[in-house]
Amino acid sequence: MFSIIFNKKSASASNVIGLNERNIRLIYPNNPKKYYPLADDKVLTKEVLHKNDIPCAKTYAVIEYNSDIKSAWESCKKYKALAIKPANGCGGGGIKILKKDKEGNWMSSGEIISDREIFQHMASIIMGFFSLGSHDRVLIEECIEPHPFFQEIYPSGVPDFRIITLNSIPLMGMLRMPTEKSDGKANLHQNGVGIGVDMQEGRLLEVYDGKKYSNHHPDSTFLVNGAPIPYWKEILEIAVATAKAFPLNYLGIDIVIDKNKGPQIMEINVRPGLGIQLVNKTGLKEVIKHAI
Amino acid sequence: MNSKTNLTIALIIIIAIAITSIGFKINPILDHYDNFNPEKVYTIKYRFFFKSSDRETSLKTYLPRSNSRQRISEEKIKNDTALFFSKKEEKHKNIRAIWKTKNKDTYNSVDYEFTFAGKAKGFKVPQKFDLVSEKHVNHIIEYLNPTTNIQSGDEIIRTLATRLSQNVKNDREVIKNIFDYVYGIPSAPIITLTDAITTIEQNRASCNGKSRLFVALSRSLGYPARVKGGIIVENADKRTSHAWAEVFINENWVPFDALNNHFAYLPANYLELYHGDKSLITHTPGIQFDYTYEIKEVNHVSFLKMNSEELNNLPGFSLWTLVDKKVIPMGSLRLLLLLPIGGLLVAFLRNIVGLKTFGVFLPVLIAFSLLHTGYVSGIAIFVGLIMFIGLISYPFDKLGLLYTPKLVISLTIMVSVILIATHFGIKNDIDWLTKLTFFPIIILTIATERFSRSTLEDGYIKAIDKLFQTLIATSISYLILSLSWLPSILILFPEIVLIIIGSATFLGRYIGIRWVELVRFRPLLEPEK
Repeated sequence: MFSIIFNKKSASASNVIGLNERNIRLIYPNNPKKYYPLADDKVLTKEVLHKNDIPCAKTYAVIEYNSDIKSAWESCKKYKALAIKPANGCGGGGIKILKKDKEGNWMSSGEIISDREIFQHMASIIMGFFSLGSHDRVLIEECIEPHPFFQEIYPSGVPDFRIITLNSIPLMGMLRMPTEKSDGKANLHQNGVGIGVDMQEGRLLEVYDGKKYSNHHPDSTFLVNGAPIPYWKEILEIAVATAKAFPLNYLGIDIVIDKNKGPQIMEINVRPGLGIQLVNKTGLKEVIKHAI
Repeated sequence: MNSKTNLTIALIIIIAIAITSIGFKINPILDHYDNFNPEKVYTIKYRFFFKSSDRETSLKTYLPRSNSRQRISEEKIKNDTALFFSKKEEKHKNIRAIWKTKNKDTYNSVDYEFTFAGKAKGFKVPQKFDLVSEKHVNHIIEYLNPTTNIQSGDEIIRTLATRLSQNVKNDREVIKNIFDYVYGIPSAPIITLTDAITTIEQNRASCNGKSRLFVALSRSLGYPARVKGGIIVENADKRTSHAWAEVFINENWVPFDALNNHFAYLPANYLELYHGDKSLITHTPGIQFDYTYEIKEVNHVSFLKMNSEELNNLPGFSLWTLVDKKVIPMGSLRLLLLLPIGGLLVAFLRNIVGLKTFGVFLPVLIAFSLLHTGYVSGIAIFVGLIMFIGLISYPFDKLGLLYTPKLVISLTIMVSVILIATHFGIKNDIDWLTKLTFFPIIILTIATERFSRSTLEDGYIKAIDKLFQTLIATSISYLILSLSWLPSILILFPEIVLIIIGSATFLGRYIGIRWVELVRFRPLLEPEK
């Protein structure tokens, strides 16, 4: 009876890591809690990345107080495109991508946005509107232009790679892409799709939409399975460099490929989800066994 | 690693101590296992005082006997030596105690004490009643005849009975109509004897008038019925006895109390004393006489035939002293002891099963509220409150308020809704609406807040799915926490707390796949074909 309750057999027979095992075996021993802010706060993450010369979007400004909004914004006006993010936001909330149109107006999601609206948005970030009520900082950074490789698969949104590393060894990877249904979000649980990655060959594998596997993105006919990933060697290199730069040993590292600058670190995650196992049809335990 | 080994050893020692300590008590407790399982236990003392007259003086009363729902034990009789005591079984199996004295003009006192253990009993009333069988006919016949005070043959009673039995489909409805009619008569504390007809005419009666009318109406329509006498036992000194009615249905005497609205049901605290239209106490007329029934509720463990003293003398450590000395009220003690069990249950549901719930301990606390409100209405109220408050606070969500002030708004709305609903419920006599205050308001508000945020962030389907999982966890908690013997077990074996710590440690180190992950990772767990 005990073996039924506690899933003794299936647990030992499979190589899948569940939430319990992830927390006890991977997160607790490898990621000391005091270093969590380095991953949770995007401003701190970027400080570490800049210090180690790891490529990531250039920081234009960090705003901590309402009184600094105006002067900081003045210094950013010279750029053609930028991203405004809450340092401690979660799930992509509060992120605004701004681009100048031909007349020099700032555009956000296809509509003109006034300076006043931009200030209001920054003020609400500082008030903690996107970070559960605690005071937060505004991060203004360079806007990433996705590499044309992604356009072939699916033209809109910003797809990113998620690489899981343990003790600076890349274990598993996937490419997350938005879909028609996911409203620009690339997260698996928000209707995005995950695409498996052959870590050795640097090729894409099957597309997983949360229910079934296929060789295509649900909204295009491009044959994904087997497609070589551009900059794969660099992606692995900056993933390893990032893993080494942080005192956190089990990480989910999010990487985007910029049209001009190549692979860039987007953010790092101390509690990476387990869906990546499904995307790659492989249990993490098996990969860890081989890696060590 | 060393500290882990030490911890493991410490835990093993703790659990070993707990098990040994339980082992010491388990034998005496198993020896006293009581399959009667009473809900309520009282000691009851009849106290009589009288002054004898110039002739031979006697005092008579009925004594209880054990049956399927009441157990009488530890009978003690104390009377003055001048009194001659006798006990005899009368007709209808009533037991009569008689005290007699030939001494003239003397003061006498009698104490009759016993322990009453009772449980509630409900009866099923079938749609159609069988005919009384041959073997019962002879002794049943008297329960159909009119008497001086139960005038079932009288025109007034017969007209009323005919009216009540019109347009009904079956026997059950006839009895229900009679019951509703008698219950509908306003009650009044009338001590003097009220017969069946007077009850109709006055349209006002206490238990004795109501029970006679009920019996008269039943007999008039051909249902064998009788008056039943006893005491409603409460933790107090009292002087009132009680009467209700019984109808002979399919070889069983089924109780009906049309004063206190018990239809085919006898509560645990009803002490049955005699059958028939009698007085509980009779004495030689014209004497000075006074009496009280001294009643004390006794703390007991429902499944044990042990008294307080025996429980206190159990080897090892138990919490019985807390109960016995009334250090903590029984209700609070129960709640305290069940909390860790409920917590462990939630840990199990989250880490082994993998249920996701709004708030970690919310299911347990809601389950506690359900113990007061009843399962179905409680769940309905819970879901209703969460949905309703979520809907009302929706415009405030849209305003984009900060978290804490928004929580204050939800909390205020929650309190207002509960107060208004309770007020409305009391005014209009809607029972379930009056029970809203049993819910833990703050925790409920936070759950509501999480629910409404979840509908915004993850969509309705995910939010309702999580609410559904919360309900499953709540139902399971309710199922466990409503086990009536569980608090008693925890009082007798407080060592279980140590075992809970041990189990929680084990759970805390558990790395297996959760049940819901078996479904989530099914493509990986099934061997590939």
